[in-house]
Amino acid sequence: MTERQIEQAEIGVLADIDQVIHAPTRLTVLAYLFVIESADFVFLKNMTGLTWGNLSSHLSKLEDAGYVATEKGFKGKKPHTMIRLTDRGRTAFREYKQKMLQVLDDLPD
Amino acid sequence: MSQNISLKDVERKVFTSAFEDGLWDIFIAFVFLAWALAPVLSPTLGDFWSSAVLFGSWPFVFLALWLVRRYVVTPRVGTVQFGSWRKTRLIRFNLVMLVFLSFSAILGMVLAFGTPALPDWMHAAPFSLMVLIAFSVAGYFLDFTRLYFYGVLFALSPLVGRWLYIYRGIPHSGYPVTFGISATIAILVGLAKFIGFVGAHPLDAQEAPSQGAYGD
Repeated sequence: MTERQIEQAEIGVLADIDQVIHAPTRLTVLAYLFVIESADFVFLKNMTGLTWGNLSSHLSKLEDAGYVATEKGFKGKKPHTMIRLTDRGRTAFREYKQKMLQVLDDLPD
Repeated sequence: MSQNISLKDVERKVFTSAFEDGLWDIFIAFVFLAWALAPVLSPTLGDFWSSAVLFGSWPFVFLALWLVRRYVVTPRVGTVQFGSWRKTRLIRFNLVMLVFLSFSAILGMVLAFGTPALPDWMHAAPFSLMVLIAFSVAGYFLDFTRLYFYGVLFALSPLVGRWLYIYRGIPHSGYPVTFGISATIAILVGLAKFIGFVGAHPLDAQEAPSQGAYGD
């Protein structure tokens, strides 16, 4: 394998990184959802320190990708939504973690 | 590997956030308070009724704090269901505590009824040790570090109380003084935590149109 081919293979791994997860904000949200079963909007907002709009926008993107799902219910008389990571989201997060470890492990000190 | 450690930290941060409102500290303060007041009320109410009134008040204190959590804390911090790793750890904690408390109860009965000739401190020392172990086990499994401190306070209170009684003549085995000081410390910590918590999590920011847009 030539030097150029090695370089292209390395870039290939980076290009393969899931861009939906790779954004720092979404990565933070997914990290929280990965370690719990489910949480509501208020909890995620408190933990991540994001604004309502920001969190809502990132959750919509994650939902569009099929990585998070919502469970709608009621708390007393008020509507209440719990957000959880889907199986697909969990797998994608694990794969992302593996790929990032692979990329970072190959970097020279 | 570093990512594993980081995710564990995230999980711990999520779980321990449940102790940041100070309500458990306030509940522990009431436990200390019961031990401080029981000997004082004993001469008027009798041993049984003074203990029954004080220890029987714990469920009501617990209920009051649960209501505070339900109507003050939860609207500010939201709701979370923990993952399988934490649930397994909590089940393991309950089992360990069940075994340990059963063993402690048997040991306590043996010491109380089987060895009446033993000096007072010989009864207090195993009790202190058991309390220290129980609080430490809870602190470890729940990642609730202040429990170690409360365990030390609880363990020292009867021992120092006996010492005060024997050498300084403080009545009621010194319990009102030692447990009273412990209760004061716990309630001050709890109130400081609770006030700080409410200040750090204002309620007014919760009504956002985007929450309605997202799911509700």
